[in-house]
Amino acid sequence: MTTQSTLAPPDLTPVVTIKIAATSDEMLQCYALRAAVFMGEQACPYDEEFDGNDYTATHVIMYVDGEPAGSMRLRWFQSFCKFERCVVLRRYRGLGIHHTLNAWCKDFARRKGYTKAYIHLQKRHMPMMEKEGFRRVDDTVFKFSDHEYYAIYCDLAPSADAITLESAPMVVNRPEDRLDEAGVLEMSAERGASNPHAPHAPRPERHAN
Amino acid sequence: MTTIPASIDGVPVTTRTAMKMEDSLQAFAVRAACFIGELDVPYTEEFDGHDFGATHIVAYLGEEPVGTVRMRWFQAFAMPERLCVIQRFRGHDVGRLLIERCRKLAESRGCNMLYVHVLPNDMAYWEKQGWRRLDPEAPPASNGTVALVRPVAEAQAVVAEQTPEVVTIRQHAPASGASRG
Repeated sequence: MTTQSTLAPPDLTPVVTIKIAATSDEMLQCYALRAAVFMGEQACPYDEEFDGNDYTATHVIMYVDGEPAGSMRLRWFQSFCKFERCVVLRRYRGLGIHHTLNAWCKDFARRKGYTKAYIHLQKRHMPMMEKEGFRRVDDTVFKFSDHEYYAIYCDLAPSADAITLESAPMVVNRPEDRLDEAGVLEMSAERGASNPHAPHAPRPERHAN
Repeated sequence: MTTIPASIDGVPVTTRTAMKMEDSLQAFAVRAACFIGELDVPYTEEFDGHDFGATHIVAYLGEEPVGTVRMRWFQAFAMPERLCVIQRFRGHDVGRLLIERCRKLAESRGCNMLYVHVLPNDMAYWEKQGWRRLDPEAPPASNGTVALVRPVAEAQAVVAEQTPEVVTIRQHAPASGASRG
């Protein structure tokens, strides 16, 4: 057994991890963060926060040392990806991790073939997003949920390995935030193709009971 | 019969038991706003694994979810917990309305006793509404809370003999490696 002669200083850097919300639990984490920030801090009414688009979107969850700390909702249009509902929980602010989250989402959108990110930004955040290369679409200022907004966008560098029609079919099937790792369906290929189908059988008469 | 004013600025406050995913999402959203947003409770403590074995009651101002409480059920008692009302809707007895709904629900199920864990700072609020310490001598639990009880039956005065002799609540999970029954 060796004796350690010096004590290494503890590594206190917070570990930030980001992934797509892929389970109902991870979705709940996104919703909880949004409720905390938008309903709790910004007095947003429930039905404006949960506006009917949550089930047509991709949700991204960010952890700091394993604790849900931030979230983003992404919606996909033909010519752009819309970043919305961006939150960082109050106690994780000031670390600059929303830039980490934005950068992750930009890369994610690039990999899916998008070359524009679009945001409805609360006016007060403009200086922060200008640093990231966003600029205003036009001079319009619009209002909803008690805030003033600008429409802003930024160009995303086209990705060399973006998903296209020519991408390998099984790559398109992979979890979208892990396009470089074999997905569960590729493993299913080992079973071969027995083309199973249940034979058609007349259904017995059923009654509610 | 307790009468609890059930409106804010003329808009009625109603309570409903959560029966669909959407209803429980409203309960979770209100709790996240209050406990995670306001009180900095970690996510894993707020959503502690009991939410799918519990009954959720949501208070609405019109259609807006403004408060919630979670009820867990034991043979010896029913346990309201995670009681919260969104900050700007406080001061209108929405909390009392929710607890009264808990009481009625417990009554309809034949429960005799309601049991809560409260922070010492909130004791006066609860005592005013007829709650009493389960054991006046007991020090606060490791999480700083005090156990209070009140009988479900409205007419009954709170007397010590009516409290259950033994109350077993879920303590912190045993460390891994501890014996599993």
